[in-house]
Amino acid sequence: MNAKAILRIVSCGILCAVFAAGLFAGSLTRYSYALQFREVPNAAPSALHPFGTDALGRDSLARLLYGTRISLLLAPAAALLATLIAGVFGGVAGLAGGWWEKAILAAADLSMALPLLFVLIAMRALLPLDVSPVISVVATFLILGALGWPSSLRVAWAAARDLRNSDFLLLARAGGCAPRTILLRHVIPNLRPVLFAQFWISIPLFILTEATLSMLGLGVMEPLPSWGNLLKGLEDFSAVRANPWMVTPLVLLVVVVLCFQFALPGEGEPA
Amino acid sequence: MSSWLPRIARRLMLLAVLSLAGGLLGATLVRFAPGYGMDERELDPRLSEASRDAIRNEHRLHSGLLSYYGAWMMRAVHGDLGRSEWLDRPISGLLAERFPLTLRSVLLGVLTAWSAAVLLALASLCARGWMVDLAGTLTSGFLIALPAAVVALAAMYLRAPVFVAIAAVTFPKVFRYLRNLLVHAYEQPYVLAARARGIGQARLLLRHVFRLVGQPVAALFGVSISMAFGAAIPMEALCDSPGIGQLAWLAALNRDLPLIMNLTLVVTLITVAANSVADLLHQEAQ
Repeated sequence: MNAKAILRIVSCGILCAVFAAGLFAGSLTRYSYALQFREVPNAAPSALHPFGTDALGRDSLARLLYGTRISLLLAPAAALLATLIAGVFGGVAGLAGGWWEKAILAAADLSMALPLLFVLIAMRALLPLDVSPVISVVATFLILGALGWPSSLRVAWAAARDLRNSDFLLLARAGGCAPRTILLRHVIPNLRPVLFAQFWISIPLFILTEATLSMLGLGVMEPLPSWGNLLKGLEDFSAVRANPWMVTPLVLLVVVVLCFQFALPGEGEPA
Repeated sequence: MSSWLPRIARRLMLLAVLSLAGGLLGATLVRFAPGYGMDERELDPRLSEASRDAIRNEHRLHSGLLSYYGAWMMRAVHGDLGRSEWLDRPISGLLAERFPLTLRSVLLGVLTAWSAAVLLALASLCARGWMVDLAGTLTSGFLIALPAAVVALAAMYLRAPVFVAIAAVTFPKVFRYLRNLLVHAYEQPYVLAARARGIGQARLLLRHVFRLVGQPVAALFGVSISMAFGAAIPMEALCDSPGIGQLAWLAALNRDLPLIMNLTLVVTLITVAANSVADLLHQEAQ
């Protein structure tokens, strides 16, 4: 087993552990993410609060675990939406060819040239100012998924175009295979690995974009925690120097994003 | 030269269509956004009923869809981008005031990022030493795992200029893509054959490798401009730099929809124009 394979296994293990911690947040902490201990704001780590408390006296571990749940459940959901859009339109462009191909690729090229963060905050600004935290979470990730498809579409299109020109598809067509059978038995199984790789690559991208949006106050609204709004605490540098454990969400985010990069098999490696 | 003209005309046509479609889309989003036509001045208890009626009539003037689009088109033809609801100032004036600063930061940032990426990618390929390659891979790997807003905070703490932060966000993506392109080009049989025949490194790069990677590099340059404009939002917002990135952020926070839509449209046109120029230059070089 080479070093890359070991790194991949370790990364998958870390990702599984962090995902499980977020999913079972309720069992790992007895506090709610919004519960305030007003008498102990900015408390140091202790037996009661293993990661200390924030400026409002909320348990940092509880907020980190529930924030992990939100970020690690909704980023893959947004990535799934983006991959589905890319898969459907990229597949149509690659398989149909002609004007469909030209129109879809032109739309993808144009979307790739858009300054994503400008478009994201413009879409986010359409929501009313008094939007509820739950709607803010859903809207943030929905916008990310709806706008994050162009680069995946190009990859899906290239894979579908290769399939269109492949001998086995030509043979299937010549043999009188129904379009439905061709789609279900030949096209989708062959596109699946490409789309899975795009789905996997999109997850850390959406985690990072949500973090930036929330740090700017345009993502997930308080009191719901996400990795992004947990990082807002880093803006107060004197507080970070006094309470260095405040960087825990950043460390976790960087580790998870790196693990997503290492966990993806390289070209030629088994998936 | 004659072959240039149709291409430039096509690109200009694309930009014109995009301006019209983007402008209409932005105007539609503003028109149908929740709260359109509401004015907080109507809640001011000091105003008389007549004043409130005047404010309501001001909004009713273009409340019909056709009238709304008609007024928007007339303004757009005269180069009037409308007024910011939050700052109560013409948007074109705000753009003229703040755009040069952002443009300077973005251009310097892109230039710095590309210089670092090209130098490191070439060094790791030409030196063929694992140290340079590892340094580039680790630096880009770490930077790519940081949210842009965290890079902006780091720049703020270190008192680094905004363009350095923009470069730090743009560099890892450019470096990774460029390095993969160069590695792929170096593995081509005719490049291997040229190296085996003892062709010098500079000639190999200029005559064979650069020619092969020209088109994707031109496309990457266009995309990097778009990335840098996007990165300008968190950088200017958190480093308190008064450019259009900060303006867009404040417009979104204050829900100034005409301002944010117009800023997005202007930046989109600039990035699409940059992509077109990169594409045209590459076609001419070929």
